Amino acid sequence: MKGYAGKLLRVNLSNGQVSKEEIPDSTQRDFLGGRGFAIKLLWDEVKHIDPLSEKNKIIFSTGPLTGQSLPSSGKMVIASKSPLTGGYGDGNIGTMASVHLRKAGYDVVVVEGKSEKPCTLLIEDENVKMVESPELWGKDTFKAQDLLEKKHGKNSGILLIGPAGENLIPISTVMSQRGRAGGRPGMGAVMGSKHLKAIVIKGTGNISNFDDAKLRELGKKGYEEIKGNESYEFWMKQGTMQAFEWSNENGCLPTFNYREGVFEFSKEMDGYVLDQLHVGRKGCPMCNMQCGHIIKDSNNQEAELDYENVGMLGPNIGLKSLPQVALLNRMADEWGLDTISLGSGIGFLMEASEKGLIPEKVKWGNFEAAQKLVQEIGKGEGLGKLVCRGVKAASESLGKGSQRWAMHVKGLEISAYNCHGCPGMALSFGTSPIGAHHKDAWIISWEIANDRFSYNKSKVEKLIEFQRIRGGFFESATVCRLPWVEVSFGLHWYPEYLEAITGEKRTWEDLYQLGDRNYNLIRAFWKREIPEFGRKWDYPPDRWFEEAQSQGKVKGIKVDREKYDQMLSWYYELRGWDQNGIPLKETLDRLGLKEVSKEMMG
Amino acid sequence: MAELKFFGYLADLVGTRKKEVNLEKPIPLREMLPSPFPETNIIILINEKVGGLDSLIQDEDSVVLMPILSGG
Repeated sequence: MKGYAGKLLRVNLSNGQVSKEEIPDSTQRDFLGGRGFAIKLLWDEVKHIDPLSEKNKIIFSTGPLTGQSLPSSGKMVIASKSPLTGGYGDGNIGTMASVHLRKAGYDVVVVEGKSEKPCTLLIEDENVKMVESPELWGKDTFKAQDLLEKKHGKNSGILLIGPAGENLIPISTVMSQRGRAGGRPGMGAVMGSKHLKAIVIKGTGNISNFDDAKLRELGKKGYEEIKGNESYEFWMKQGTMQAFEWSNENGCLPTFNYREGVFEFSKEMDGYVLDQLHVGRKGCPMCNMQCGHIIKDSNNQEAELDYENVGMLGPNIGLKSLPQVALLNRMADEWGLDTISLGSGIGFLMEASEKGLIPEKVKWGNFEAAQKLVQEIGKGEGLGKLVCRGVKAASESLGKGSQRWAMHVKGLEISAYNCHGCPGMALSFGTSPIGAHHKDAWIISWEIANDRFSYNKSKVEKLIEFQRIRGGFFESATVCRLPWVEVSFGLHWYPEYLEAITGEKRTWEDLYQLGDRNYNLIRAFWKREIPEFGRKWDYPPDRWFEEAQSQGKVKGIKVDREKYDQMLSWYYELRGWDQNGIPLKETLDRLGLKEVSKEMMG
Repeated sequence: MAELKFFGYLADLVGTRKKEVNLEKPIPLREMLPSPFPETNIIILINEKVGGLDSLIQDEDSVVLMPILSGG
């Protein structure tokens, strides 16, 4: 099919074997790319294995929009069976590696097996080889990036892990370009388990599209539409950090391990403060609304901030200085730790200490203690040993009622929105296909704009619509979701882009169905890998049901468990799943997944 | 006195993050804002309830206007 290389690169690190396989047109058509390709491969090839064993596979997957001259198209999806959750795990990352992979003539890389010694995978167009790289092992992601750039050129596409991934810490991510991160559910640890420190990609070819001239024209118009939007200038000043003031106003800012939704010191660290401290900008290739804001941290080093890492490493642990948050964020990036899970883990320990459940004194807002914890979590030592496998595992180990305020769903820590007063967003976290993450259905804004405290079926329908667009289409295309809502970029562009790329007409209805196919296959994967998987995996923590916030707009309000239960039932019904959350045979068959229903149901 | 709070790019558009207005009689919100003002993709809360640009604002009302965001 036009617009694809049509090639999958498979590398076995155990025996060094490299193979190039055709990707059938039917796979391109039915699964599109990115997340779709990833779940198709994982379903077909990864069954009942230990995620940190050499039998697991890690997939680097692009889509037909990746690397094209189109708005915010510099993304790829990194996916594997997650060592953090035990289910399907993925994350997208904006990096030059996405663009180079497409130019090198591949849509997907599958890495399997385990190298005996630490290695780097080099992909230069047709030439693919593993090289031993002991000199990189143990290096943080900034130093390792420097060394790799020195050796392979500054413009190479580089994906790598830090010491946390090497140490098999389940909350480690894959990093790129000193601060770009992707793969929250332990994708860094999967690379580490294979002794794969880095992938370096250099591509010199071109993507062959159906109508290049048309695509160029559409891309140009798209970039112009983004730049011309009335919210563009403000976006460039604050980026995602505009959500900080917004969340505080709405009582959604995670504060003191999600006990509260407003932070007393929010004005000292919001988007306006960021704008004053701003010294540079970073972001993905092909993007004209780059979201990474660089400030000087408290050690005078550069650190890239966004809303999620400030929310989780700031108010969630009681820290009120943006440069100090920036230092913790920089450390997390150097270690290759996920900042959301890290902030949640530190918050968990601070609350456990406050409640006297652990002997160590770790006070809210203690910057020195937080720095020490980042290192201990990266090494899996000391107090860090308790939370380095995520707060689900930590609470199971600690007990004493801590499961009620271990802030995760399916084992993945909740991203930075407190949902005591947002039942739709709570359901969005509950049903996110990788565990609690905001990328699939960020319904909170729509919910506050319409009928915040209601639990009606139309809210659930809206949630599924968002999941189809964001988790379904954007994650498979593979492009960033931010232009759509942040600067009102029209959804109508995407079918037009696809037609110019592939020559095939697709409506949004077609793309919704594609999203549904990917969601159902992901759900089937969870069920196959965790036989007891079902309804109880789709609930947020007890804290949101049982403890109301004491301040702000949602003071005294909590999520109603019975009504949440009703929304979840509607969700299953609308998805065509049984009341345990498992896809029905007719749903799988309707989506062209007959082989899957046969394997699941016989 | 009615209080109007503006968030995100709407604050830049209006030129202030907070505005207080004495109202002798209720007037539509639209008339208190610069024209043109975005009609879509915004959140309007009047005394913490969902409102619109044509809602009547009275003295003592608290009004919040914020953009729809996409999430970091």
